[in-house]
Amino acid sequence: MGQVLELKQVCKKFGGVVTAQDISMSIGAGEIHGLIGPNGAGKTTLINLISGITEADSGEIWFEGKNVTKLPAFKRGRLGIGRTFQVPRFLNNSSVWDNLMLGMDLRSQVGDLKSYFGIPKVDLEAELEPLMEAAGFELRWDDEIGSLPFGQLKLLEIVRAMLAKPKVLLVDEPAAGLNSMEIDRVSTLLNMAAKEQGIAVLLIEHRMDLVVDICKTLHVLVFGKLIAQGEPEQVTALPEVIEAYLGRDDDDQD
Amino acid sequence: MSVNLLGSIVINGLAMGMVYAMIAMGLIMLIKAVGILNFAQGDLLMFGTFLVSFLIVDLEIPMGAALPLVMVLWGLLGAGFMMITYWPLRNASYPVAPVVATMGASLVLSEGVFLIWGTWPRTMPSLFQTADGRPATVNLFGAEIQVQFFAVIILGALLMFLVWILTEKLYVGKMMKAAAQDKYAARLIGIPHLLTTMVTYILVTELICSAGYMVAPIFAVTKSLSSLQLKAFAGTVIGGFGSIKGAVIGCLIVGLVEAFAQVNLSVYKEAVVFLVLMVFLIFRPGGLIRSKIQDKA
Amino acid sequence: MKKKQVIEKRKIICGLAVVLLVAAVGMIPNVYSLRVISLALIYSISAFGLLLMLGMGGQMVFSAVAFMGIGAYTTANLCSGRLGFYLNGTWAILISIVLGGLMAFLFGLPLLRLKGTFFTFATIGIVQIFYTFFLNYVPLFGGPAGISGIRTLSILGFSLDSYVKWFYFLAVVAILVMLILNRARNTQFGRRLAAIRDNEIAANVLGVNVYWTRVKAFTISGMLGGLSGSLLAMMAKYIAADNFSWTRASTFVIMAMLGGVNSAPGIVLGSIIITVLPEVMRGLDRYLMFLYGIMVILLMILMPMGLSGLVSGLAKRWRRKRQARRER
Repeated sequence: MGQVLELKQVCKKFGGVVTAQDISMSIGAGEIHGLIGPNGAGKTTLINLISGITEADSGEIWFEGKNVTKLPAFKRGRLGIGRTFQVPRFLNNSSVWDNLMLGMDLRSQVGDLKSYFGIPKVDLEAELEPLMEAAGFELRWDDEIGSLPFGQLKLLEIVRAMLAKPKVLLVDEPAAGLNSMEIDRVSTLLNMAAKEQGIAVLLIEHRMDLVVDICKTLHVLVFGKLIAQGEPEQVTALPEVIEAYLGRDDDDQD
Repeated sequence: MSVNLLGSIVINGLAMGMVYAMIAMGLIMLIKAVGILNFAQGDLLMFGTFLVSFLIVDLEIPMGAALPLVMVLWGLLGAGFMMITYWPLRNASYPVAPVVATMGASLVLSEGVFLIWGTWPRTMPSLFQTADGRPATVNLFGAEIQVQFFAVIILGALLMFLVWILTEKLYVGKMMKAAAQDKYAARLIGIPHLLTTMVTYILVTELICSAGYMVAPIFAVTKSLSSLQLKAFAGTVIGGFGSIKGAVIGCLIVGLVEAFAQVNLSVYKEAVVFLVLMVFLIFRPGGLIRSKIQDKA
Repeated sequence: MKKKQVIEKRKIICGLAVVLLVAAVGMIPNVYSLRVISLALIYSISAFGLLLMLGMGGQMVFSAVAFMGIGAYTTANLCSGRLGFYLNGTWAILISIVLGGLMAFLFGLPLLRLKGTFFTFATIGIVQIFYTFFLNYVPLFGGPAGISGIRTLSILGFSLDSYVKWFYFLAVVAILVMLILNRARNTQFGRRLAAIRDNEIAANVLGVNVYWTRVKAFTISGMLGGLSGSLLAMMAKYIAADNFSWTRASTFVIMAMLGGVNSAPGIVLGSIIITVLPEVMRGLDRYLMFLYGIMVILLMILMPMGLSGLVSGLAKRWRRKRQARRER
């Protein structure tokens, strides 16, 4: 108990390629866990499995004491499993407002008729204020989503996920392509999610400084297998991790 | 149902199915090459068929001389069709735009036929005639069946096989396929996008116009030839949308279903064909042969 | 952060302009012109179904005419005395809407598991199936002769017995539907549809039940078809299968594309142009459809987002320029 998200021996194969093999891990409320590993290790697949974009071959995924292994993605979203994508996924033909409102909608799925007459009353701007302060930039409602710079989009996707008040937040490489100021903002946002809102965060990231900085626990994934779990300092010191993740001395890392 | 009736229904169905299959094959070639659903497929067929009828019946050009001329004209038709409905729209921001353009082209072609040749149905002489000008028949299980039906089945299969060899097996075809899959990379290694696309359109037009030419002696040459495309669509979807093999099987099924429905439910045959389509869509939504082609339309 | 302002003033001006426009058009003395414009309004109500499915939901459909046919034949049966009674037109409208929606729901339930082009093809099938029955099944649909002698609509004793009255009535209905749909954009339902259109994976992650949302939208589009069909039957007093053929179905798509598929006023404009144009160009008679086809191609090349896309594109450019000037 106490664990918001639990994976029990989750397996997934694509064709003959094993992308997840007997993955077991658990995350508690308010904790930030890092998921690291070389490219192609199956990190994103794991997030897809948890969020329901792909279905596991075997094993179980438990969320708040409930087996969600067979639930479709939208139901998991409604239960409180939020996520972001490596390349932000927004509604490119809709306004910034609508994009963010989708996050608010997730919190209270009312009937269509109720929603038609403006129930529940939501105050997006009030909700948004502290989040945008943490994200460190301002929104103009007239802007099209496509006109925002990439860094802002990545931050905004975390904001959108947080607007839904999820219990679990899966973040896929939030820092990729961001400058160091923006990366600071990412860590502010994620810390806020975990410390203030008690969200269990699973973070995929290549930037070790960010990972070591904010994560309580690290999981190292190599070829679909978890080879190590533990506190950042211990895990990064393990020789097999260094070899698998950073590469041997003779080849360049990353 | 007697054997001779059954035999003639089956032959009739297979022949029509073969015509649908040729239209469907063209459809899929276009979808694979440019990702566009062509709603003018039937009208291209009709236009091409009127063209032949004009050359052979009105201008009385002998078949041997007309054939190469017709091939050239069909090719021009296809190339022109591409230059108008696809080329200016290839970078359209709205993916439905080029599809709607083909719907416009469908009007232009069918009305063009009407303006040039009038609405009167025309005839197309069959290659297989008796001395007194009537269609030649053969006796199958006691039923008289027009030779033209067999010709459609055999020639249709042969033509499709040739196109298939050309596009799937030969180097040229592979090159075209590669160009379709990645325009940018193709340009980098020097495959001109314009040329490959045009070749595809020309091949498709030649294929479906031959289908029109072959089926014309059975029906008359009328505007209603263009409605063949809807059944070709049905066959394509039954087959799995994207696989040529599947589309051929699907179209043959459609042809057979239609031939049987025509005997038993005459006026509702159209509905029966599409009800079968619905049933397939519901119980086998990916079609008979699933493929991984990208759904852009 | 700038507050999201609802510009009340602009709304009022737009409303006034629309009222004036409607009043002015109603003044046209030529009854025939009014009939054509009224027809266009009826078609646009059906085309609003396309706004919902294609514009808001990103799914190309052809089935609008089929559900329009359901509505038209329902009303025709109820209000022409061929079943032995005349039902009040208002009830006929309601029943037509329900039946149109029900048909769409029943077809949508199994078929909306399909995505993209597959579903588009399925809607072509729907059109063909209904058309065949409309054309051939005499007991319900009158066969090739169609159904005539349909009584006109009368609401609370007020009979719509002239095209002027019809025009005003239809203008009100069309505007109401338009307002209802526009409001829907800013509801959870509208946003879900947009999410499905723009990014289905994101929609899933954001808790959108893609299948069910599409079924709802399709059902609503069926209801709109039923409504417009019912109105068509009562205004034209005669209907036949030709109104609901494949050719008609593609005309609807063209209408919507012409005006801009994601804009309700655009769709009204599109259907007016498409319906009125043939009447204006009567002299060209023989060349009419030919020119029409050419126009469609040109339109797609020059402005694929339709007239409303052109307008909003210009407006955006103007706003940006103004903003740039202000920042300087």
